[in-house]
Amino acid sequence: MSTLAAPRAEEPLVEVEGLVTTFPAGAGRRVAVVDGVDLAIGRGEVLALVGESGCGKSLTALSIVRLVPRPGRVEAGRVRLAGQVLDGRNPELWRRVRGGAIGMVFQEPMTSLNPVLTVGAQVAEVVRLHERVSRAEARRRARSLFEQVGIPDPAARLDAYPHQLSGGLKQRAMIAMALAARPALLIADEPTTALDVTVQAQILELLRRLGRELGMAVLLITHDLGVVNELADRVAVMYAGRVVEQGTRREILATPRHPYTEALLRALPARAPRGARLAEIPGAVPPPEAWPAGCRFADRCPRRFAPCEAAPDWTRLSATHAVRCHAVAGGRA
Amino acid sequence: MSASPRPGAAPAVPELAPGAPLLEVRGLTTWFPIRAGVLQRPVAWVRAVDGVDLDVPAGRTVALVGESGCGKTTVGRSILRLVEPRAGSVRFAGHDLLALPLRALRALRRQIQIVFQDPLAALDPRFRIGEAVAEGMEAHGVGADAAEREERAAALLRRVGLDPSLLARYPHELSGGQRQRVCIARALAPGPRLLICDESVSALDVSIQAQILNLLRDLQEELGLAYLFISHDLGVVRHLADRVAVMYLGRIVEEGPAERVLGEPRHPYTRALLDAVPSLDPDRRRIADRVPLAGDVPSPVNPPAGCRFSTRCPIAVERCRREEPELAGDDHRARCFFADGPAGPA
Repeated sequence: MSTLAAPRAEEPLVEVEGLVTTFPAGAGRRVAVVDGVDLAIGRGEVLALVGESGCGKSLTALSIVRLVPRPGRVEAGRVRLAGQVLDGRNPELWRRVRGGAIGMVFQEPMTSLNPVLTVGAQVAEVVRLHERVSRAEARRRARSLFEQVGIPDPAARLDAYPHQLSGGLKQRAMIAMALAARPALLIADEPTTALDVTVQAQILELLRRLGRELGMAVLLITHDLGVVNELADRVAVMYAGRVVEQGTRREILATPRHPYTEALLRALPARAPRGARLAEIPGAVPPPEAWPAGCRFADRCPRRFAPCEAAPDWTRLSATHAVRCHAVAGGRA
Repeated sequence: MSASPRPGAAPAVPELAPGAPLLEVRGLTTWFPIRAGVLQRPVAWVRAVDGVDLDVPAGRTVALVGESGCGKTTVGRSILRLVEPRAGSVRFAGHDLLALPLRALRALRRQIQIVFQDPLAALDPRFRIGEAVAEGMEAHGVGADAAEREERAAALLRRVGLDPSLLARYPHELSGGQRQRVCIARALAPGPRLLICDESVSALDVSIQAQILNLLRDLQEELGLAYLFISHDLGVVRHLADRVAVMYLGRIVEEGPAERVLGEPRHPYTRALLDAVPSLDPDRRRIADRVPLAGDVPSPVNPPAGCRFSTRCPIAVERCRREEPELAGDDHRARCFFADGPAGPA
């Protein structure tokens, strides 16, 4: 019902359907922190999942690869990757998928890099985990991956320990590791948030180039709408566990329709006239146990009216643009 | 010294018209030792701040921008003497903060307050909000007694847009935006003239950030506050700064009116920084079209000879690697031999 048909003739490379992840909310109740998320990403395409902290975007990524921390639990959701449905109940399969068909890059490289092993050894290890090759061949592959991600002097850098690399080089090494098993899907969770702006620009350029060259699907998780504009092809906006609007980069950034997306863009200081008051969104994202039953943005929404008591369904605005808002559906916005 | 106060007496701070010099930093130099060996002797120095001149006029906002490790945070801390500079002067309303005896300094310190990036780290988890806000007043001798301070704390909370009922709460019970408002209320408690905002909105979500930026703007209008706004976020800086100073490896490389520094940058580093900021215009992506600045910032332990940016500069020539340019110009200054245009190889 809520699945959006992709606007391409071909099947999307990655499809996520009906993803639901719950956390305990006291008194034996569980609350869906990821509540029915559907995503589709084509070959060589970058889909940005954006939202503010607590909206569930990172948890969506962790749910896709079944890495949700306890006491969280993935309750439902089908992941289809290159035509193959991944069975949610087989932990052995998921161990192979992670770092294999699905590569992951996080904000803080040190959470993924082992401080006591050289970066070259770590990348070679991933190669050997997923392919039967000799140690020498794995090391050659690691070296060419380092070249591919733009690490200068790659042969020497293979023998460096993570702490000997700058933040930008560590992030490049992590990207090399994520690519080692030739993934179909690369999940990049705030990949440039910890980096300085000049280094961020380098990494964004790299991710864009790699996505195209390798024909990967890239799921970019970010709070930064500038990063979205630079890197994404399509955008899904998340609020309080649900995707509330999705469309092409241009549709979302130039003609947003959901009141939350609109408010988010108006609150950006870089888009406001100098010195003018910024548009505020009143209040803050409530904690999951306080999410309203109907539209979850209703409490903060300037267009709230009676139907918002019920959760809105998708309203399609174009082949690629859809929004979950009663006001838009009823022609009031 | 323009005034030689008795030890402990509050140095006189005259009322200043908006735009009059309030803070004047000259030749500020703060190095951190790298110690080694049994004797823990300094074997090298991190030249975090290396001869910085900076003015903050009364009632205005001066932004200090740069990437991590450029020394911008150390400038803020050196002004407050949270770290001891090794050279330079910091004149605040005519008094040299680096030359004052400690007691006189404390009396002046209530005029300068700081708001940090992470409000959760800045607030003691064991103190109620009311205690946190009143603490600053007590330390600076504001308010006759506890009752008066509490009344003032309630008024401050209202002033920053919070319900005074939050005074009885603990920091962990508040949202990130509420906690940053508390930190601002606490900074306002002693009645400062200058607020040093060190990445104060950087950790906040964009909707909360907008609320805090609006609050800072209102406070400046009502209280005539001056801000030294330390930030890496050029979008935020463009929005609120009157003047901008750009730092690279311990030095100011460009300084001037915000619209000129951000609109017609004269230093290649400022240009690279602006080019690297992701665009928010769907009709114009920035990073796709252009090779970004290569490499990383060199170590401040061994800054490059000559111009410190020369190792990454796209227009550097031999001279740049030997000789360091002065920060030159009238109201819009830049530390570059080619600041006046492509006289060189550009």
